[in-house]
Amino acid sequence: MTQQVSIEINGERYAAEVEARLSLADFIRYEARLHGTHLGCEHGVCGACTVQLDGEPVRSCLLFAVQADGRRVRTVEALGEPGKLHPLQEAFKETHALQCGFCTPGFLMSLEPFLRDNPHPSEEEIREALAGNLCRCTGYVGIIEAVRLAAER
Amino acid sequence: MIGQPLRRREDERFLTGAARYVDDVDVPGALHAAFVRSFEAHARIRKIDAEPARRARGVVAVLTGADVADRAGRLPAGSIEDGVVADAGHPVLARDKVRYAGEAVAIVVAKSRALAEDAAELVEVDLEPLPAVVDVLAALADGAPLLHEQLGDNVLSRWSKRAGDAVGAFARAHRVVSRSFSIPRLVAAPMEPRGAVASYDADRDLVTLWTSSQDPHRPLAQLSFALGRPRDSFRIVVPDVGGAFGSKGAIPPEAVAAIVAAMELGRPVRWTEDRLENFLAAYQGRGLEADLELAVAADGELLAVRARLYADLGAYLFPTTAVPSHTTAMLMTGAYRIPAADVEVVGVATSKVPTGPYRGAGRPEAAYLVERMVDLAAHELGIDPVELRRRNLIPRDAFPYETPLGWVYDSGDYERCLDRVLELLGPEDGHARGVAMYIERCGGLWESASVEALPDGKVIVRTGSSPHGQGHETVFAQIAATELDLDPAEVEVRWGDTDETPAGVGTFASRSVAMGGSAVLEAARAVKEHWRQTGARTPFRAEVRFESPLLFAAGAYAAVVELDPATGRLTVLRVAGVDDSGTIVNPLLAEGQVLGAIVQGLGECLVEEAIHDEYGQLRTASFADYSLLTAAELPDLVTAFVETPSPHNPLGAKGIGEGGAIGTLAAIANAVAAALAPFGVRHLDPPYTEERVWRALHER
Repeated sequence: MTQQVSIEINGERYAAEVEARLSLADFIRYEARLHGTHLGCEHGVCGACTVQLDGEPVRSCLLFAVQADGRRVRTVEALGEPGKLHPLQEAFKETHALQCGFCTPGFLMSLEPFLRDNPHPSEEEIREALAGNLCRCTGYVGIIEAVRLAAER
Repeated sequence: MIGQPLRRREDERFLTGAARYVDDVDVPGALHAAFVRSFEAHARIRKIDAEPARRARGVVAVLTGADVADRAGRLPAGSIEDGVVADAGHPVLARDKVRYAGEAVAIVVAKSRALAEDAAELVEVDLEPLPAVVDVLAALADGAPLLHEQLGDNVLSRWSKRAGDAVGAFARAHRVVSRSFSIPRLVAAPMEPRGAVASYDADRDLVTLWTSSQDPHRPLAQLSFALGRPRDSFRIVVPDVGGAFGSKGAIPPEAVAAIVAAMELGRPVRWTEDRLENFLAAYQGRGLEADLELAVAADGELLAVRARLYADLGAYLFPTTAVPSHTTAMLMTGAYRIPAADVEVVGVATSKVPTGPYRGAGRPEAAYLVERMVDLAAHELGIDPVELRRRNLIPRDAFPYETPLGWVYDSGDYERCLDRVLELLGPEDGHARGVAMYIERCGGLWESASVEALPDGKVIVRTGSSPHGQGHETVFAQIAATELDLDPAEVEVRWGDTDETPAGVGTFASRSVAMGGSAVLEAARAVKEHWRQTGARTPFRAEVRFESPLLFAAGAYAAVVELDPATGRLTVLRVAGVDDSGTIVNPLLAEGQVLGAIVQGLGECLVEEAIHDEYGQLRTASFADYSLLTAAELPDLVTAFVETPSPHNPLGAKGIGEGGAIGTLAAIANAVAAALAPFGVRHLDPPYTEERVWRALHER
């Protein structure tokens, strides 16, 4: 069963005839060919696939592409680029908040709206905000510091 | 620049979504693979009917074990020094029998991953169940069902050593402390599961494999063995890798099956593992039963250790499966001047996915066993555990120090590590605390690197060492730039392609800086010497193979915990870690390794356990059932380095990748035992979940 969808990703419109079962994550990765969104568990726990749907963070492995039809998606590719990093990306680099980098885009896409809604978070609020994303490398210490640093800036 | 906290040059590509992991590698025309896996832990294969799957939409081929037998044998079973291992390498696809739930029996190749998975469900696998072999001690009992009938028993590896007068020491000991231990299996769980893309060029008879692996050259050797083809008929490319922690050090049988399919079909074949497969079929870590005895004099002198170790190796031997328990055995005298040892390790076949190295790889088990025994001895003798350690630590003037089991510790200052960790821990505040020492065997073997000065003044470093998150590009550029007096930005670092980079051993055992970094340093020195002789910075290329004996990092860890006896809830309040890894090249990255490893160790203490039921089925096969810690669950973490250089390499470096995962469990286990002591509980094995702590307190 296929269906026509049209999804705006990072300001560009991607239209395709897709199977109804195609996840939004697979649409982003294989139709739009934006490889910055990663699949870590495909069951909604790890948060690596987090993107923003109409400005709010969602797990793109738990949504179907058809559910995003006509809506706006923002992925890590829109956040900044080499040489012109977003302040959050700068802070991650500064505090060594990433190692293998596989989980990093999901953290960034969760944190950008978090800091928009809560520009001066407490340590407790930062930890809570981070608890929806798994990182196996860093032990989170650098990530917590990065959020604090980005909020200060 | 050695010792400077340079920020990582690799970060920008990871932060902007520009990194390329194996599933991002664009190979035109690639088909997709899915695997049919055994649903039984132990069974005879009566029949596999692949015809319905072959007729399914989008399917290009279905291959069973019989179909790949002409091209592929087994993966190599590896070896251990002075020990024996069975001929039980992992098959590419099961034939005749399956030996764990999740073992691949057929590969389905289709036009998309979804269609391949659809068709995999249509393959009819008729299995005659056999009794599962789950418990290692039961597996060794007379009459136990045999995994590999031709072996005659369920033993996959065996090693033993007696050194010094252990019998005499136990006979004259003031006390003999005895305890049995059980260390559960863990899952490495890198955020990126495994995966590979195989492509075959028939005209050149060349196999190209892009693989999410710790390094390219071990896969090369393993594939050469499994496929019976010369090494130069392969090109292995390792792109960005989303973590490994030991679990991507052997080529997956699934990748070999993908190569066979690509050769049969003349089209590239991609396999991207999902998380369920990673839980079921990627080799797991730890899994050890142990009986220990420690002979102690009245003044607390440790006289001898006796250990019987039973390692849960699972159904087959990957090349590294038998290694961690051998490492545990060799470290049974720990950081102490214990003159006699009697140690035996038996690697046991069980109907579970094989085990293999997971961060620490035998050393956390050793630290846990030895350090728990030291605390138990302190308790029995009424001596303060820190004081008992001081009386027995290998003194700083005793290096090089040969242990009775035969390893030569190169350098160290263990007492300084202990002093420093007590400073970090802070004054007694009434909470239970635990202290532990650890030894990390690291380095050894060889690595190679080339340094090439180009006419435009830029320098290219090519390394056989390969990263999966550690930051090789930054550190190797830092080393070369220091030696050549350049800005690190002028140094490019290339890795991960057997066609371009010099040969390497691999990224494991915390060996990249000491071995790979020293190779880079010596190659840079050769370039510098050429420049000195020619009197100018002329173009030149030097390649160096650097060898060294084993290195031994060490450290002291400590933890403060709080226990709620009513609920069994354990709260870890603080973990302090002091690592002596020799010279630290980049303290920012080194601390990152320590913190990440501590939190993995904390997970091992608090929540992580791979649980198989009596039928051999994995009951913890998702992140909902196998928890990883999140940022909300962190205690206070404080770390410091002691830097005793190694004499075996020009950097003076040892290994930093695993210490946190080695020391944390032992320290917390001792703190938990201290917290349980007032309730009459002497010992508890991890993980310290509320249920396990509550049962220990209330079901005595």
